[in-house]
Amino acid sequence: MKKTIRVLIAKPGLDGHDRGALVVSQALRDYGMEVIYTGLRQAPEQIAAAAVQEDVDAIGLSCLSGAHNELFPEVMRLLHEKGADDIIVVGGGVIPWEDIPFLESKGIQKVFTPGTPTIETAKFIEQAVYKRDGITENVFSGVAPERIDHIGIAVKSLDEALPFYVNVLGLTLEAIEEVPSQKVKVAFIKIGETRLELLEALTAESPVAQFIEKRGQGVHHVALGVTNIQDRIDEMKSNGIKMIHDAAVPGAGGASVAFMHPSSTHKVLFELCEKTKSKEEAK
Amino acid sequence: MDKQQRIKEWQEKTARSMNRFPERKERFHTSSDIEVERLYGTEEEHYPMEFLGLPGEYPYTRGSQSTMYRARFWTMRQYAGFGSAEETNKRFRYLLDQGQTGLSVAFDLPTQIGYDSDHSMSRGEVGKVGVAIDSIEDMEALLKDIPLDKVSTSMTINAPASVLLAMYIAVAEKQGVATEKLSGTIQNDILKEYIARGTYIFPPKPSMRLITDIFGYCQENVPKWNTISISGYHIREAGANAAQELAFTIANGLAYVDAAIEAGLNIDDFAPRLAFFFNAHNQFFEEVAKFRAARRMWAKLMKEHYGAKNPKSWQLRFHTQTGGSTLTAQQPDNNIVRVTTQALSAVLGGTQSLHTNSRDEALALPTEDSARIALRTQQILAHETGVADTVDPLAGSYYVEHLTDELERKANEYIEKINVMGGAVAAVEQGYMQREIHHTSYETQKKIESGQEIIVGMNKFTIENEPQPELLRVDPTLGEKQKEKLQALKAKRDQNRVSAQLESLRAAAKGKDNLMPIIVECVKSYCTIGEICGVLREEFGEYTGV
Repeated sequence: MKKTIRVLIAKPGLDGHDRGALVVSQALRDYGMEVIYTGLRQAPEQIAAAAVQEDVDAIGLSCLSGAHNELFPEVMRLLHEKGADDIIVVGGGVIPWEDIPFLESKGIQKVFTPGTPTIETAKFIEQAVYKRDGITENVFSGVAPERIDHIGIAVKSLDEALPFYVNVLGLTLEAIEEVPSQKVKVAFIKIGETRLELLEALTAESPVAQFIEKRGQGVHHVALGVTNIQDRIDEMKSNGIKMIHDAAVPGAGGASVAFMHPSSTHKVLFELCEKTKSKEEAK
Repeated sequence: MDKQQRIKEWQEKTARSMNRFPERKERFHTSSDIEVERLYGTEEEHYPMEFLGLPGEYPYTRGSQSTMYRARFWTMRQYAGFGSAEETNKRFRYLLDQGQTGLSVAFDLPTQIGYDSDHSMSRGEVGKVGVAIDSIEDMEALLKDIPLDKVSTSMTINAPASVLLAMYIAVAEKQGVATEKLSGTIQNDILKEYIARGTYIFPPKPSMRLITDIFGYCQENVPKWNTISISGYHIREAGANAAQELAFTIANGLAYVDAAIEAGLNIDDFAPRLAFFFNAHNQFFEEVAKFRAARRMWAKLMKEHYGAKNPKSWQLRFHTQTGGSTLTAQQPDNNIVRVTTQALSAVLGGTQSLHTNSRDEALALPTEDSARIALRTQQILAHETGVADTVDPLAGSYYVEHLTDELERKANEYIEKINVMGGAVAAVEQGYMQREIHHTSYETQKKIESGQEIIVGMNKFTIENEPQPELLRVDPTLGEKQKEKLQALKAKRDQNRVSAQLESLRAAAKGKDNLMPIIVECVKSYCTIGEICGVLREEFGEYTGV
């Protein structure tokens, strides 16, 4: 399971400019971290105490008043005093470039100046926490897909679409077959090591018919080539990915396939697809 | 061929050519999500004189005075202040020598939050974002050799505004200047502190009392003083769009008017002294429209809703500052160009005074060089471009008039919502404006990060290895020096008089009398800002956020 990183976003000093602190807080939350925001005007003592009490992995200090050289090192000193040196501390705000080496020498791991994309801040905190915790292989413990097996394209009619692929693009039609489990007729077109899979609905209830009805013709899904498909499905589910198929179903070309739900994959319909060795070799 | 036919043919022709040359975006819109059409002026739109008014006439869409900048340019008022009172006094005199026409004082954060320089919360902050003022001694040093009967002074001070105004009045008396001759502005707008700027001290109710006490006191004693500067500036900086800035500012203004009426003041006595403060942001035409809409909205509300009779009560007069949050730390010289177009929008919108930001403000406090370029930008607009030679030159532009109407409509929708919640004070206490602003600011950030909004030099047209410009540094020993000064003062002043004044302040705070006269007596007795605000903290309590 992915570790949930806890971050304290803190405003040391007296300035009331919390736009940056609020935006970063929300961006880190959207990234999947748990974020506690202190509110304005926190003394270094309050920040260090909150960090220890909330058991956070990291602290983000935001200061736009020019008091960073006094206040950031004071937070570091107090964390050290409390034996909380292992907390990753980063800073941001209006911090002149010439102050950054000094702050880094005091243990601030990184200072993010205006214009930094929030994703960069999130990535930095994540990497620093993983490094500290000895989590080397990022979050991923499974086996990555090996290739794009094919790209599925929904068409109204194979007869109408095929001439473009074969006569205009000059690609090779490998096979046409029907896949009853999906109520589709499929044409495979080979392109390099991968294939385009044109899909024509056999009935109005076919998922492909519904897709065309809703969104028109076009790219339908991307198939990721895997081995040991059931293990891959289980890994996806343990990572909180919603599967359309909890167990593999027969797909075209004798493959075993399972679809992932687009709500879990940022709106792309992905298929996990395993072809038997003998079939692959036969090709 | 009649007009409609001709427009129809033009539209068809345009649609055909768009097949070959599509437009840059599917949808064009302003910061406030007002749809921007390809072309305005194709429908029969009329902006009759009764609707826009004439300059200097109700509803003031076209300007608050009849001759505007043909008579006198806007006041070029650069906000400045850092370090000690003596250093800031030098910068002020430099700016006045350079042709600046009004002063604008930036105070450091301890002063703004009512802490003395030796308070534990003041560490690292003394003299950083403005000048450190602990007592009337510092105020005297700040204003040394500046003729207070001739220069108008704006002070960005809110929660402890009474204390700083009292000090200013007391210094003027020492200089022999009658209080009736003093002119200037205190920001004194606590509601936007809760919403966006963060330098509040007391809870809303006693804060509103302090504000209306100032209204009442100045009416009698400092009649030329602008007693409040109702500020959209910081609301915009916190991430609001133009319509939100407009709406929340006006809603706050209505709350102050209500509070003053409730305190027994007559609208036509205090309303002419209300001033406003807006942001000049990047979207040029929307900004011009915003200023014009603000004038019209305020005039209608004052006249029709509150029944004010004095035309001066109807007029919205405003200061403008260019948008600090639009400045980039990358390629800082580009900021000069941003500031120029923003400043131009304020001038075309009819501002009464203007601060232009310095190019290096995303990096540090501005250097003297940068501050001079910023002032020169205004002087070039005033003296070289001719934009000040006629009144309200964009009036009648189909687009600008449309945007003016739309902003008014959108802002009125927000104001209506706020009314339903019970007014601006209640809305602030419920966190409504804060949430709306945060939502807009986060959406803006996402658009910038996805490249949907381009910031030149930051997410497009970037360069490797930015040169690192020279920056201003504040004397790091200032905090200690200021503490020593404060100790010396405490050793030499009449401690019995100090204690007596603070006790009478406490008694007055418990009652209902106007607090201003007693605060003036406190500062004359060398009570410090920390002591005065300390007593009020004990009596009023502290605000801790939503």
